[in-house]
Amino acid sequence: MSSRVCRTCGGSDIDVDQARGSAVCTGCGSVLEDNIIVSEVQFVEGSGGVSSAVGQFVSADGPVKAPLLGSGFHTSVGKESRAQTLQGGKRQIQQLGSQLQLNQHCLDTAFNFFKMVVSKHLTRGRKTEHVIAACLYLVCRTEGTPHMLLDLSDLLQVNVYILGKTFLLLARELCINAPAIDPCLYIPRFAHMLEFGVKTHEVSMTALRLVQRMKRDWMHTGRRPSGLCGAALLVAARMHKFRRTVKDVISVVKVCQTTLRKRLTEFEDTPTSQLTIDEFMRVDLEQECDPPSFIAGQHKAKMQQLEQELARKLDDVEGEISCYKDEIETELEKSRPKLRGIYAAYTKEIDPEDAEVLSLTSDPEEPEVEDKELRVATQQLTQDFLCQVIQEEEGRGKKKDDSNKEPGSEKDVEGSQRQATPLAVILGKLPTATSLGLQPTCDESETREKQDDEQSEGGELDLDGIDDQEIDKYILNEREVEVKTELWMKQNAEYLKEQKEKEERIKKEKEQGTYKEKPKKSKKKKEQIEASTAGEAIERMLEKKKISSKINYEVLRDLNSRGTGSGGGSSPSRASSDPPDVNTATRKRLSRRRRKKSSDTNRDLAANASIMGKRVRLLISSTPKKRKPAVQAEHSVTMTTESATETTTTTEAAAEVTPDPEPDSSSTPAAPPTVLEEEEDEEDEAEEECVSALQLVGDYGCEEEEVF
Amino acid sequence: MDSSNDDALDIIITNVVATFRTRCHLNLRTIALEGTNVIYKPEVGKVLMKLRKPKITASIWSSGKIICTGATSEDEAKLGARRLARVLQKLGFKVRFSAFKVVNVLAVCSMPFAIRLIDFTKKNRPIASYEPELHPAVTYRIKHLKATIQVFSTGSITVTGTMGSFDFREAIRAMPLR
Repeated sequence: MSSRVCRTCGGSDIDVDQARGSAVCTGCGSVLEDNIIVSEVQFVEGSGGVSSAVGQFVSADGPVKAPLLGSGFHTSVGKESRAQTLQGGKRQIQQLGSQLQLNQHCLDTAFNFFKMVVSKHLTRGRKTEHVIAACLYLVCRTEGTPHMLLDLSDLLQVNVYILGKTFLLLARELCINAPAIDPCLYIPRFAHMLEFGVKTHEVSMTALRLVQRMKRDWMHTGRRPSGLCGAALLVAARMHKFRRTVKDVISVVKVCQTTLRKRLTEFEDTPTSQLTIDEFMRVDLEQECDPPSFIAGQHKAKMQQLEQELARKLDDVEGEISCYKDEIETELEKSRPKLRGIYAAYTKEIDPEDAEVLSLTSDPEEPEVEDKELRVATQQLTQDFLCQVIQEEEGRGKKKDDSNKEPGSEKDVEGSQRQATPLAVILGKLPTATSLGLQPTCDESETREKQDDEQSEGGELDLDGIDDQEIDKYILNEREVEVKTELWMKQNAEYLKEQKEKEERIKKEKEQGTYKEKPKKSKKKKEQIEASTAGEAIERMLEKKKISSKINYEVLRDLNSRGTGSGGGSSPSRASSDPPDVNTATRKRLSRRRRKKSSDTNRDLAANASIMGKRVRLLISSTPKKRKPAVQAEHSVTMTTESATETTTTTEAAAEVTPDPEPDSSSTPAAPPTVLEEEEDEEDEAEEECVSALQLVGDYGCEEEEVF
Repeated sequence: MDSSNDDALDIIITNVVATFRTRCHLNLRTIALEGTNVIYKPEVGKVLMKLRKPKITASIWSSGKIICTGATSEDEAKLGARRLARVLQKLGFKVRFSAFKVVNVLAVCSMPFAIRLIDFTKKNRPIASYEPELHPAVTYRIKHLKATIQVFSTGSITVTGTMGSFDFREAIRAMPLR
């Protein structure tokens, strides 16, 4: 206690009495402090003479959880954000954990993990759900409970790999080494789910042995443990004469059929599968197998070797064939008549035909791959060879000569080159292919070494190694551009329309000075910005204020458009139960008026929405039976309401409803429930209420017209 | 295993990812309509163009940033990038080739023996992580080399990283096997 100076006498000798909680100056006797706060333990005598200490337990996590501060409905104002996060996290952990049937100890551990995570700022940018799921899974792994990540993802409806990513990150950051999953852990759980009855334990033991055997045989590395368990359980069940189909097992284990079958076939390949049941239970083979993927890899290597040998043999045969082809080719050329002028036009027509040929053949421009592809193409085309040669030889032979002389359009050159290559393919490495196809590549291989890094720094494009002619192939000529444009436009017509509408909308908004930079997501909101009548202005304002996302703007628009009103198209139920048009018109105007009125009070009402709701309910509870349907409607209205408008309209309606019920109104309350069911349209319901109010207080009809 | 064995291992680079900038805005629609071998994705806002000669796929954004993937060596990547820039130039954009950078290199190599993943993970606890439910390989991250190594039970190993290709051997050597 700091010794203070007495105010009256200036003496510094002050006596503090803890029991009385007072500080008194011993010099002049003046009381300096009266109700000092004391930190002592006090005891109270309870019933039966039991004395207990006075006080509350405060959690170490944060400040005291003051349950009711004033209005009590405010989300804990005055608490630290960190404490809120932890509190929320704890709640979610409890919720998820109980669904997984984890015991309290696990949940506490998970919460500790979560606290660590929060203190390391790892929750930033991640959904709390994911973080909590990862914490829980971490606990499961460290404790060794048979919970899979799949279970958690099932509960949360989140992709497993996303959860896995979070989990891995947390494990790394927290330096927690989760022990590897042992498939043996899952067996009792799955066995239980497969309902083996009394024999569950035996089947589990058999399955365990199987899994251990699989482990020794290297089937379990890199595989999902659940798949292995599924296979083991299936076999174990069959061994004990239970009929469990693959489908049953799959639904429990959550792998797909193919996986299960694969595991079974792999197991079949091991020598253990040859043992009988009794032998298996007694004997354990010493020998270990290699992992199945390793075996598969070796198998592949062998196949490749075989293929290479075959290919080599093919080569020898190929050489002979190509000689024959060369001879045929030369003969044909000699025998062909020389027609140039006519075929110049003919050649262009052939282009699309040859496109198909091109698609068959591979790209000739890659020298390394060329050999293989030529071979492949040869095999494909040997049958069509003769027909094609006869058909196309005439035109192509001409074109080759032409193209070599004229530059022509680039596509033709390319086309001719491409056509030359199938020919080359067929006939086996003609000079045309080499001269046209290989040349650019030769150029580049030379110039690749000439690359100059300094040029790139200046931003200039180093054109050394780039063959312009080839580059030009990458660009379509004009006619092709047109065709492609047309195709693309047709294909993406919807998207383009969307874009146009969006642009128009933005333009309009800009004119009206209400242009918002951020992109709007829903298409429906486009329609709001059309006209600047009062109604439209209101709805736009409402939408901006984000008071209600449930107002059906189509209805609002209809209100404005219909002068005397043909029955509102938006609400078919209303049309059925509706009184004459005047009523509907006035009703709508009433609702509009109400909305306008409410718009002013909107800002104030946001906080008191629920309170208003309560008041409305109180009001309604006192009304007679006839109002029950309306009560229901209002209940649901207030339940689902988020905007003050609805509450204000309903409260106003309710206030006017209370006086006298009328027989006419019975029809309209019937409508609201149906309206509710059909469309969650509080606005419509509000209007329904307004109808009844309107009918009650007849004068309102006249006043409405004045407002507008 | 032994370092002598490592030298005999052939490390094959299978993928090189590089980025560069053209320093000018590109009209994606023009590229999409006038280029061959292009895929236009207006929702994402990019054009994919595939080149044949160095077999690469390039993602082109309208801001002028381009990412090239699929090359089998760094030189090839650079060549492909330059060809791509040339194509764009021919289409009429004022392209300047700048800020070329190799971002990621992926190499594959194969060990002649199988690897026991669980024991391996146990020995290299914080660095190696193995989650069979998610991925069949052990991921081994070497921070100072900025490389990630994935070890499969068949013995094949993939190395991904931002360093030069010659550093791959070091990365593999840095990894204790068995």
